[in-house]
Amino acid sequence: MSTAPKEFVGSHKQKDWPKHIVIWAFIIIELFPLYMMFQVSFKDNASFLRNPWLPTPPFSVVETRQAADGTETAKTRVADWSEAFSSAKPSDPSVKSVEKSFDLSVYKVKNWNFGLKLIGPYIANTVFVAVTGTFFTLVLAILGAYFFARYKMPFSGVLWSAFLVLMLMPGVANIVPLFSLLKEMSLLNTLWALIIVGVAGGQVFNIFVLRNFIEDLPKDLFEAAEMDGASHLDQIRNVVIPMSGSIIGTLSILAFLGKWNDFLLSLIILRDKELFTLGVGLIYLDGEYVKQWGQMMAAYFIASIPLIIIFLFCMRLFVRGLSAGAVKG
Amino acid sequence: MAFPISRQKALREWKLYFLIIPSLLLVCTFSYFPAASAIYHSFFDWAGGETKQLIGLDNFKRAFGDDVLWGSFKTVSILIVFNLFKMIPSIIMAVLIHRVKSDRWQYLYRVMLVVPMIVPSLVTLFIWKFFFDPNMGVLNNILDFTGIKSLLVSLDQTFGWGLFFENAPIGWLSQPDLILPSLFIWGFPWIGAVGVLIYLAGLQSIGQEIYEAAELDGVGPFKKFLYIELPLIVTQVRLSLVLLVIGTLQGYGLQLLLLGESGGAGGRGMVPGLWMYNKAFVAGEFGYACAVGMILFVFILLLTFLNNKYVRVDK
Repeated sequence: MSTAPKEFVGSHKQKDWPKHIVIWAFIIIELFPLYMMFQVSFKDNASFLRNPWLPTPPFSVVETRQAADGTETAKTRVADWSEAFSSAKPSDPSVKSVEKSFDLSVYKVKNWNFGLKLIGPYIANTVFVAVTGTFFTLVLAILGAYFFARYKMPFSGVLWSAFLVLMLMPGVANIVPLFSLLKEMSLLNTLWALIIVGVAGGQVFNIFVLRNFIEDLPKDLFEAAEMDGASHLDQIRNVVIPMSGSIIGTLSILAFLGKWNDFLLSLIILRDKELFTLGVGLIYLDGEYVKQWGQMMAAYFIASIPLIIIFLFCMRLFVRGLSAGAVKG
Repeated sequence: MAFPISRQKALREWKLYFLIIPSLLLVCTFSYFPAASAIYHSFFDWAGGETKQLIGLDNFKRAFGDDVLWGSFKTVSILIVFNLFKMIPSIIMAVLIHRVKSDRWQYLYRVMLVVPMIVPSLVTLFIWKFFFDPNMGVLNNILDFTGIKSLLVSLDQTFGWGLFFENAPIGWLSQPDLILPSLFIWGFPWIGAVGVLIYLAGLQSIGQEIYEAAELDGVGPFKKFLYIELPLIVTQVRLSLVLLVIGTLQGYGLQLLLLGESGGAGGRGMVPGLWMYNKAFVAGEFGYACAVGMILFVFILLLTFLNNKYVRVDK
């Protein structure tokens, strides 16, 4: 996207700040789940119920209560924000003394250890499936797109429409026969089934995008390479791939995201706990435990970390690729 | 376009076909074969194993008398209406960001929009499930906190819905009549980062001078949207509308995770895709599930056809 230098868009007369307020309101609500996920991940259920909205203040409180018969019981709990800065006497008459102390152990870092232990293996499986799947999807799609883009071979028209029809065909009816097909191939309960089906499913879209891109590359490059005696594979390696780095990058991110988020297929295919990907794993955890929300949220956050890493490094590519793709397509 | 090629040259380049064979093989095995198999098996009584029995059109006859299936089509049409409504915030957001004068702020806002995408969609779903939790959930907390709950309770008493009570937490996902509203609230404020970025790309082509001309004519902000901005993104809006309708019609992941495989309390969240899933993998009636899938497939194909005929997306 070229952003042409401009002094303003819209009106001279109109003030800008109302727009900013509305946008920020939207964005704050949009980011609210993210904030909750992070902040709850440091709490146990008790401190969450006590103070659901804000992070816990770094103080713990020892509350000594005197019951009617004179026995004293001491209870340790996290401080409220109102207690964090003032030392007002407790209003409850049965509370004898309140001792506040600076305490970092109110942040349940254990939640994160627990979450990692819970979800680490699933993440490893998912990374394996998503990386392998994305790699093969792109490699095969580049080969296929090169076939369609380089020459108009006999039958390539027929083959092209055979691919395009699949874009219109809804995948929903396929899942039942796909299950029995995988059963016959004895691929049920394997990660390879996920990879292969994912690669097959990604072909149409990626070939479609890449073909348009390769056709737009300067023809002279291919001809020069051919003069030098380069085979087709050489041309793909030395002309196509270097020239289409950005589009391959964008498509890879999209493919990776798709595989990372997929859960329907793995829900049907995977049975063994050791093979669970993130999708099934989270569903399984959701049903399994009496919820300590803090642990769950920590696990959720850990599940997002690989995507955070990708976005940190590729955000520009992603934002740009998405906009450019939208203009083109 | 690809080079046209003479027959002799094509013969010499026969090795090129090797490049397409892997993709073709995969697509045939995992897309075409299952599709054909779904059509074939929809005429059978089949439990997924070796034994199957040809029963002709019985599966379809059964489907036409299946109240759950038709109820699920009703539910999914309501969901489609919901989702159409949910497109609006993204459009507003895109226009607002576009009208912001400073480029730096525009870029910042785009980045902020993309940030929520780092959360896997499944995790977003589970966070929302947590929001809906009656006792610990955030939604009930907010309603209590802001006093909207007492408003709802008094409305309930006036109209006699029997849904909201003073002393009981609201069971968003456990009360049959609240399931559709929950599915509506889900995802608030309904901003899709991808959608906004796509609209923004469309808006970018508006030239400076158009705004200046509009200004001279004294065109207000809303009319500017109607006559300048909307026409420019109408292609993108149409495209996402079509994708949305088809996606909603065949989607069932959301319902499966939020409500379970039987569509939640009273089956109010049952959609056709979920019914197919349920019939295949819970009830084990694979043949009938294939038939349900076929019916859904016909609906989607019809929509795609109508779309290509009437809602042409100009490129």
